Amino acid sequence: MKLEIQEVSKQYRRGVLALNRFSLELKPGVLGLLGPNGAGKTTLMTILATITRATEGRVLWKGTDVARDPDALRSVLGYLPQDFGVYPNLNAVEFLEYLAAVKGLDAATATRRIDELLELVNLTEVRKRPLGGYSGGMKQRVGIAQALLNDPQLLIVDEPTAGLDPEERVRFRNLLSDLSGERIVILSTHIVSDVEATATDIAIIAKGALVAHAAPEALLRQVEGKVWEWVIPSAELNAAKGRFLVSSTTRRSDGVHVRILGEAAPIGAVPVPPNLEDAYLYCLSQHRAGVQPGVQQ
Amino acid sequence: MSRPRALYHMVRADFLERVRRYSFLLTLAFSVYLGYAVYAGQFTLQLDKYRGVNNSAWLGSVIGLVASFWLTLVGFYIVKNAIQRDRQTRVGQILATTPISKSFYTLSKALSNFAVLGAMVLVLALAALVIQLSQGADSHIDLFALVSPVLIFGLSAVAVTAALAVLFESLPVLRGGVGNIIYFFLWTALITFGVITLGKGPWFPASSGFRDFTGIASLMGQMQAQVRALDPQYNGNASFSLGGLHSTTETFLWTGLKWTPALLISRGMLFAIAAAIALLAALFFDRFDPARAGWLTAKRQRSTSKSAAPEPAPTQAPAKSFEQSVLDLPQPHLSAAHLTPLLRTGSQAGSRTRFFALVAAELRLLLRGHAWWWSTVAAGLFIACLFSPLDAARSGVLVAAWLWPALIWSQLGTREAQFSTGPLIFSAPHAVPRQLLATYAAGVLVAAITGGGLGLHLLYERDFAGLIAWATGALFIPALALVLGVASGSRKFFEALYTAWWYVGPLHHIRGLDFMGTTAASSTPAPYLAAAVLLMLLAYSWRRVRLAYA
Repeated sequence: MKLEIQEVSKQYRRGVLALNRFSLELKPGVLGLLGPNGAGKTTLMTILATITRATEGRVLWKGTDVARDPDALRSVLGYLPQDFGVYPNLNAVEFLEYLAAVKGLDAATATRRIDELLELVNLTEVRKRPLGGYSGGMKQRVGIAQALLNDPQLLIVDEPTAGLDPEERVRFRNLLSDLSGERIVILSTHIVSDVEATATDIAIIAKGALVAHAAPEALLRQVEGKVWEWVIPSAELNAAKGRFLVSSTTRRSDGVHVRILGEAAPIGAVPVPPNLEDAYLYCLSQHRAGVQPGVQQ
Repeated sequence: MSRPRALYHMVRADFLERVRRYSFLLTLAFSVYLGYAVYAGQFTLQLDKYRGVNNSAWLGSVIGLVASFWLTLVGFYIVKNAIQRDRQTRVGQILATTPISKSFYTLSKALSNFAVLGAMVLVLALAALVIQLSQGADSHIDLFALVSPVLIFGLSAVAVTAALAVLFESLPVLRGGVGNIIYFFLWTALITFGVITLGKGPWFPASSGFRDFTGIASLMGQMQAQVRALDPQYNGNASFSLGGLHSTTETFLWTGLKWTPALLISRGMLFAIAAAIALLAALFFDRFDPARAGWLTAKRQRSTSKSAAPEPAPTQAPAKSFEQSVLDLPQPHLSAAHLTPLLRTGSQAGSRTRFFALVAAELRLLLRGHAWWWSTVAAGLFIACLFSPLDAARSGVLVAAWLWPALIWSQLGTREAQFSTGPLIFSAPHAVPRQLLATYAAGVLVAAITGGGLGLHLLYERDFAGLIAWATGALFIPALALVLGVASGSRKFFEALYTAWWYVGPLHHIRGLDFMGTTAASSTPAPYLAAAVLLMLLAYSWRRVRLAYA
């Protein structure tokens, strides 16, 4: 099972180039897709989900060009878009029954899977309540359930934990980990901790181009010995931000604990183990500086 | 910020938001089409055997009537989304937190509607100039005579339409499809009132803007007087219609409308009436309070939530750390690994079964959310179709039975845009043809069920010609709804067009326009059957083009 993205570009009508010769090859596992706002993540998701067509390049699913035969992919595709709606007068069961019919599932299987999926996303108790009365997080969980209806081999989830409370986020992360056996999962998010918990591979995208594609460990290795913690008076914080790449700050009684990324440490800073957020920021800063990160697979 | 400045910016922002959408170009294109229709002689104003010489005064009068007649009808459906847009974009919730009053808001929306419709009137005024330059028998252009009827009749009439659109949006019961249908009948009543009370009505003074909404009575009155001065035998007949001239043999020189103070006051009164309607709307406007979403919606939500269980309460663990509380979460009884596996057979029989399941799901979606009384009336009409004398059932009861589900058919093809479910549906295999066909089949089933009484009656009476006409209607109506829904993504275009067509064709049994075949004489099933097929192909093509794949 392989999904190949070959030199894919997408240009919108007003000349905006959302993707620029983007290439990636995916095998079973969870790919965490990270990137700043407007990087092209959602555009890539919609192309892979056969919602829109690439201006150039090809997407191959098991060797078949998706543009020529989109239904080959659609029959095994689960897609949770960033923004989606529900029919407010239907309850969760009816809505999922409808989508199961659209996806071509037979009635008996659909009924069983709907019951199981509602249990899985913790909506069994409210399964008969009209969706119009659901909270944002509950609607999101209905979205997760519909994406899994047809037992997808390719699961694309765009910002899936948006609107979920911390407990449901953890539950969803666990679900993604469970799912990532013999299927390809693409998880696009801003939340680095979601990726940290589930991804077997990470792709960083910026300005429509692939910045890095590597295992989390490889990304972390790249930034090893380049993360420092520095305690400074709060009055000096702005000056520090001007001089160094600051990944986080924490105010404590002894001053501001500043987490710094850089080749050399300022005087008084101590080295600390890197996390994925440090690696992500480092890759982006290298990309902005015109340096190609050395973790491309 | 001063109030006039705040008002200006509210109107300006709303106006710019609308004119920067592609749909505004279509709006202006409609005005251009109206101008072309006048140029091509499709609108005719005649006084018995007389029509005016094509000079500035005559062209200006015809186009002025076109503006006040057609823009007040079509324009309503174009602008009746000002508050809805604020609701959908959630800008309304921001506005609701500002100090602006409800009346200030509804007035600004009415003014913004007026600006859009006013732009359409201006396009027509420009068209008047172009038409006279290209077609006029009289090359002398009298700019005032040419443009004043368009601007004065047109702008004053659309001011009322603009305000009525805000009132309809503010009233929960008129906000949706019911309002779209009711407006058509209100518009018809306003037009008719002006015409039939010409010179008769003792209730309103001649200067009353209420009596002469479009200005036709004032205009015709002066024209009739001029023709009568030329020809004492003139019988007083006058008409303004869509279609070619009917046996006009004489022309007369129309010297133009005399803008008497009474006439100007009557047009000015329409602006006052419009302002009053906009302020009245503020009484019903909910200021984007979701708790006041309308009694119908609220009642429905209350009744459906009675039996619903509350959302499961989050785990209470105040003394524990987050990590601990996560570990303590009630875990589902099964994991993803235990989900029922899917058999991917793809057999034809299975595929057929799944298609019928999809039709059933589409039908359920169409019918969901209607109150019990809707079904009761539909059942009553079904029974009336079955047991009334056949002619009465066909020419009367069926006409009502197939107006009743108009708001159901208007959902066809629009739900995916209205509820943003497109990405979920169109990423499924063969979704475009299967879902479109299933939606259509559900629409046909609605027609077959609601008009089924007559279908059975015709079958019992062995009236096969009538049965074919009935079946054609059942196939044509959902096809029309589907293509308009898919193309526009909005329900109101079908609601407006269908109601107008229903009124002109089936209700009056006009041959060629009677798609229901309400009488043997007016029934023409063959072209409507062909049209149903064409419309379905068009809907399919449109959706295919809209979506990059399929």
